[in-house]
Amino acid sequence: MNSSTPASTNEPIPQAQKSTLRIFQRAATPYLLVAPVLIFLAFFFAYPMFEGLRLAIWDDEAVLALREGPSLSASESGRLPQGVTVEVLNRQGNLLTDATATDLLTETWFRVAVAQPDKSTVEGWAPESRIRVREENADGTPLAGTVRPKLGEPDDPRTTLRDDPGEGGAEISFVEPRAQAAILEVAILEVWFNVRGADPGESAQGWAPSRFVQVFGDGVTGRIDRGTAGEFTTEFIKKMFNDHFFDPAWRTTLLLLVLIIPAQFVLALLMALVIHARLKFNSWFLYVFTIPMGMSDLAVGTLFFSIFTGNGLLNSILEGLGIIDSPHVFLSSQTRNWIIVAIVVAEIWRSTSIVMVILVSGLQAIPDENLEAAELFGASYWQRVRHVMLPLLKPSVQVALILRTILALQVFAVVIALGGGDTVTVLTNETFRQYSDFRNNNVAAAYALFVMVLSLASAFLYLRTVRTDTEIER
Amino acid sequence: MTESEVNSLPLDSPEVRRLHRNMKRRANRGRIWTYVGAALIVGWILVPLFFLTSMAFTTRETVRSYPKNVLPFIPFSTDTVRFFLDQPGVLEGLWNSLVVAVITLVLSTILAAPAGYAIARYIFWGRDLVRLGVLAVRAFPIVVLSIPLAVFFLRTGIFDSLYSLAFMHTALTLPTSVLIIASVFASVPHELEEAGQVFGASALQSFWHIVLPLALPGIAASSIFAFVLSWNEVFAAGVLTLENRTLPALLLVQLQQSSDAYQFAGGFFLMAPSIVFMFFIRNYLFNMWSQVTK
Repeated sequence: MNSSTPASTNEPIPQAQKSTLRIFQRAATPYLLVAPVLIFLAFFFAYPMFEGLRLAIWDDEAVLALREGPSLSASESGRLPQGVTVEVLNRQGNLLTDATATDLLTETWFRVAVAQPDKSTVEGWAPESRIRVREENADGTPLAGTVRPKLGEPDDPRTTLRDDPGEGGAEISFVEPRAQAAILEVAILEVWFNVRGADPGESAQGWAPSRFVQVFGDGVTGRIDRGTAGEFTTEFIKKMFNDHFFDPAWRTTLLLLVLIIPAQFVLALLMALVIHARLKFNSWFLYVFTIPMGMSDLAVGTLFFSIFTGNGLLNSILEGLGIIDSPHVFLSSQTRNWIIVAIVVAEIWRSTSIVMVILVSGLQAIPDENLEAAELFGASYWQRVRHVMLPLLKPSVQVALILRTILALQVFAVVIALGGGDTVTVLTNETFRQYSDFRNNNVAAAYALFVMVLSLASAFLYLRTVRTDTEIER
Repeated sequence: MTESEVNSLPLDSPEVRRLHRNMKRRANRGRIWTYVGAALIVGWILVPLFFLTSMAFTTRETVRSYPKNVLPFIPFSTDTVRFFLDQPGVLEGLWNSLVVAVITLVLSTILAAPAGYAIARYIFWGRDLVRLGVLAVRAFPIVVLSIPLAVFFLRTGIFDSLYSLAFMHTALTLPTSVLIIASVFASVPHELEEAGQVFGASALQSFWHIVLPLALPGIAASSIFAFVLSWNEVFAAGVLTLENRTLPALLLVQLQQSSDAYQFAGGFFLMAPSIVFMFFIRNYLFNMWSQVTK
């Protein structure tokens, strides 16, 4: 096509090679164009989705790995599950590796230079408990102190200095009580415990840092507070099933589904037929019909709150018509059924537009000839709707059903706005409650997983039932 | 009377005229009923909207009063709206919502436009897979995403930032944006692009000078849709923000302890953009769905 390129170069690229290059370019382009979306979705959709499922069934702190010695580099000596009672055999301070950790038991050690009676100076490490700090600088760093006398040990009142902080350091010298000590350096150590499992079947023994072990008041027993390794668990799912909000939540969610979806498909079909009739001002009808589609569920919640609330529109109209004498209370903890009615009305108002749009798109794809033929053969309008339009709309109905069911399983803000979230509760509300009130991410994830399983199951069901139906009719 | 019998009659015979008249009358009667139905549905949609708007633009006394004068007789005042805007956190919430929605708009358009073009113009292995995958994102529940994303953002230290929320919203809007843009590019005739290349433009030039100007309104529509979706989104905003609440998240947590006036004015601010913007994007939504259900 472009003949100037090979002619102008001295060594023209062989035709075959050039066309391979072009084929390769053409083949690679769509992938390059699609790649950004896929990468973004991998990060912010696939990964969190995977993490979410993992949170629900995986306990990150289920098992504690014990070490042969009091060091992270020591080899593993055994494992104890979280919650096991342990005997504490020994303890020792170790340099703190991760200062951001919480629940630490720490010891402070000083590197001191102590003047000996013979005027020489020895240097070494001693624990905070052996040095009385007498001098500190402005920010609280200790500068100097004296060696404490060892009480209760009159035979040897001297304090040991070591070459490294911690009881594991080699002894290098001994200093007399009350000797002057300059504090050269401060080290913060985390206490490690040597523990042995005391529960039946759990007798592993080894060292673990203090943050994972809770030691009781007696100092010799304790329990494994949390672990370092994860394990599959059904604990969170069980917790969700035992949650006393779980039962009302899934029942209400399914009840809303059953009440909303059939009614809204009828309304959506009527709306789609109005649009399909191509009346005057059709584009304005279309605009008004699609407004609710762009509206936030929270906005729709407040919208219908303004209608159903005690001094709202509905009561004003009813009283104006003389039907009631005093405002009827629709939205209170005693009127659960009215709250559900309000939610159903609000959800039908809000979410019918999307179904309508899908159905109109489907109707537009039906050739006018089909409908004209039916009309010529004397089919009435409703017969045409029933026997020509609806069967041809089936793919659209299927898509709309799947989408609406999945979205209805996620109904949230409307329920909060109209019912407060306690009298009438739904699955998403419980997810939110577990996350924000109880700070229990794992159970929240279990709820989310449950919603997803319901979504997938319903999608599968629709794909099966609606599809089979069309095949039979063919 | 069967079709062949009707066809054999002369066109100006009384039978044919009668048939024609009947059909016309029946069609007219049907049309009137359709208008009635259309008017009823319009009322069903507009009356609640009008009521909430009138509640947002009236005095706080009127909001509290009972029984209210029905519909057009509610006194106009900016009292409720001003009261709402004076509440702590509201202006920040509006600003945060705006920032998140704009970031979402920009990100989702930049990411979705090339993908939409690829899906519309190229036939490549995995094209249907991409389309299906993109649709699946729309179908997966947002609650499943929010919780682990919150944990993930907490761990990486960008929790409670407007960016993290915008990323999440972009993931939610991408499917729709990709499909709308694909339908827009598909509606630009391929012949135009080829004609440009025949007259010596490179592929990039003919895209830039021919296809893009034609597709621009549609791309703008998809951007607006992303904006509206982000502006509306409640659940993820509630989970992912704490101090930097967006307007919906703020309203959600304030809902139980706030006055009616606060709720109604807040509801009005939430719904206002969609009322304006749906006008511009409705046709593109139809095109998108006819592509999907094809």
